[in-house]
Amino acid sequence: MSARRGHHPEGNTVKFKNVAVVGAFALTATIALAGCASSSGDTGSTTKPSASATADAYKIDPSLTGTITAGGSSAQANAEAAWVAAFTSQAKGVTINYDKSQGSGGGVTNWLAGSYDFAGSDSPLNPTQVTSSASTCGADGAINLPVYLDGVAVIYNLPGVKDLKLSSEVIAKIFSLKITTWNDAAIVALNPKAKLPATAITTVTRSDGSGTTTNFTNYLSQSQPSIWTYAPSNAWPVAGSSAQQGGSGVVNTVKAGEGTIGYADHSAIGDLSSAQIQAGTSKDYVAFSAEGASTAFAKAAVATPTAVEGDLSQKLDYTKLTDKSAYPIPLISYQILCKTFKSADQAKLTKAFVGYVASDIGQKIAAKNAGAAPIPAAMLAKIAKSLADVK
Amino acid sequence: MTSHPAVRSRTSSVKAPGSTTASGPRSPQGGAGSSRVKSRPADRIFFGLSFGSALLIMVILAAVAIFLIVQAAPAIAANWASNPDLNSGPTGSFATFWNYVAPLIWGTLWVSAIALVLGAPVAIGIALFISHYAPRRITGILGYLIDLLAAVPSIVFGLWGIIVIRPLLLPLTDWLNHNLGFIPIFSGQASTTGSTILAGGVVLAVMILPIISSISREIFLQTPRLHEEAALALGATKWEMIRMAVLPYAKSGVVSAVLLGLGRALGETMAIALIISPSIGFYWNILTEGKNSQTIAANLALNFPISNVLQREALIGTGLMLFVISLAVNFLARWIISRSNADKSGRKKRRPKAIVEAASAANGPALSASDSPVRATGSATTKPEGTPA
Repeated sequence: MSARRGHHPEGNTVKFKNVAVVGAFALTATIALAGCASSSGDTGSTTKPSASATADAYKIDPSLTGTITAGGSSAQANAEAAWVAAFTSQAKGVTINYDKSQGSGGGVTNWLAGSYDFAGSDSPLNPTQVTSSASTCGADGAINLPVYLDGVAVIYNLPGVKDLKLSSEVIAKIFSLKITTWNDAAIVALNPKAKLPATAITTVTRSDGSGTTTNFTNYLSQSQPSIWTYAPSNAWPVAGSSAQQGGSGVVNTVKAGEGTIGYADHSAIGDLSSAQIQAGTSKDYVAFSAEGASTAFAKAAVATPTAVEGDLSQKLDYTKLTDKSAYPIPLISYQILCKTFKSADQAKLTKAFVGYVASDIGQKIAAKNAGAAPIPAAMLAKIAKSLADVK
Repeated sequence: MTSHPAVRSRTSSVKAPGSTTASGPRSPQGGAGSSRVKSRPADRIFFGLSFGSALLIMVILAAVAIFLIVQAAPAIAANWASNPDLNSGPTGSFATFWNYVAPLIWGTLWVSAIALVLGAPVAIGIALFISHYAPRRITGILGYLIDLLAAVPSIVFGLWGIIVIRPLLLPLTDWLNHNLGFIPIFSGQASTTGSTILAGGVVLAVMILPIISSISREIFLQTPRLHEEAALALGATKWEMIRMAVLPYAKSGVVSAVLLGLGRALGETMAIALIISPSIGFYWNILTEGKNSQTIAANLALNFPISNVLQREALIGTGLMLFVISLAVNFLARWIISRSNADKSGRKKRRPKAIVEAASAANGPALSASDSPVRATGSATTKPEGTPA
């Protein structure tokens, strides 16, 4: 694969950065070409092996040793497991512990308390947390790096109905319990050919607080503010749904019931049917694909950085997702770390790991093993630049 | 066979120098003899260790209580309506801490009550069957199997509840809702996924079954054989004998067993969190999925990871309330038992002691359910029955 290059025991960031930029260009070119073609139903993202051969250049220093302790978002959990396995297989002296049982809130709380090297979180630090991070990280503060990209899938179980098409208006009405049967006129209008039964709709939601809920309610309140009058939140705001514990709880309940509809991280839905979402108000309906999520990120992510230089917090502007190349409900998850570590060795180690995660090969590994979508190369380059300042 | 006077002299002759304890668990000689008894270092060490253990338990209990109070205080005192940390997310729609925790307390008690109503009669029935009806050969196995239920982890029960019990109870849910929907607890919109308090209550009942059953079984086995045989001799059928001789004797013990089961049900977390679709409110319904009053423990487990600092403290506050409720339930249990013990005459209370002495007098084995009392009562006839020893 990279036989031309030998091993470079002294990994140096300058070389990595050059190579990463080259790789980023190659990847952007490939994604642009792929975007021209239609992108329905292609969920695998290992479709460009030639590009990856030249872009695969992030070098892990195999002499690294130490332990990284981290935790937080469970959306990232599968991807973290893949990243940890790949990283530690090359740097055998390194142990990485990612605790996914903490959730985004717990991850940030523990990181603020100083027990984690980085936190996995589905939302960037809010202003209160930014203020607290000054005491954890010192005057330099902390940076939020978007490293994980996925989509929120609207899953349903309706025997005999395969390609359900839903608009944001209908989704908002269903989940706020304004539409209660499957053969409601609004759903029939979007799916004239489908045989929709008169079954009652059972909405399946999360009973535990979750970043997926935050993303989904964000989408609903931005796209349909008149119908979805609740503020975005990590706790599901509508009473009367069937609330289940964990994303897997939602998936299992949707699968076991009939006439059920729910929302979950796309990487967790298994073989359940996921609805095609209307892109804005156009007449295109988009099914989830990794390219669709990456394009959505590229189009809709608006940088809302904190005062810390190098911070890459994003806000999603769903109104920008109006054509069929972008999946309408993307989900971003961050890794949050201090700019200045107390120990230079720990800084080097954490930088190496986060840099690996945010490299082209890291994103490919997450895509292959965890069903994620790769973060666009332009953002990866920015992340590399921000990481360079971490010491 | 040794008779009483011989036994007495035997025990008194054991007062050799260097011997420390008088024989017999509660021999009165212990009191009289201790002033003349040497205590060796081993004694002091043992006393120290057991005193230390008791003290440690007290300290741990106090430490837990103090931790809960200290951690919860900021959240209880904060202004929930205006504090940005508290007026969003899981604590968003509550005006004060008490508005948040009161429905949770109700939910905890309600779900535990359902589990008790479903589980306690079955557990007592099992205990009765094992103690009085089952053939000797299989009582051991049966008892073992029931106790095995207690070893199953609660998360396994939760998964079993999701995969097996929820679909199983759906037809019953529909039927009850259709036909008996005028009764408040069966009213509301019937669930289609089975995530109801009924399903959670059934699983919880299975979880508390081994506790109630094993303690009740021991109590039923302690029934004085004399009473049972007297009832049978008077012509009672087996069920009448149980009703007349066993149940009155076992009443307070069974109450304490049930309250122990209730204690477990109050604190059950994972099974409830997995099975029931929760809401926070004062609901009676057990067949819906939008109106299931959430319990404190499950609410804590579901919301702890995503909470910010103040919300965590609020959750710890709800944990403090659960701690208080559990203490209250335990005190209630003790009060009921002490009241029913005081009701009976003093002799009734000492009866076991008299039998124990008679048994040791006859060199009998440790008091076991079926045979010693018979032998003991045989030798007890040599001394006036019921004499306070």
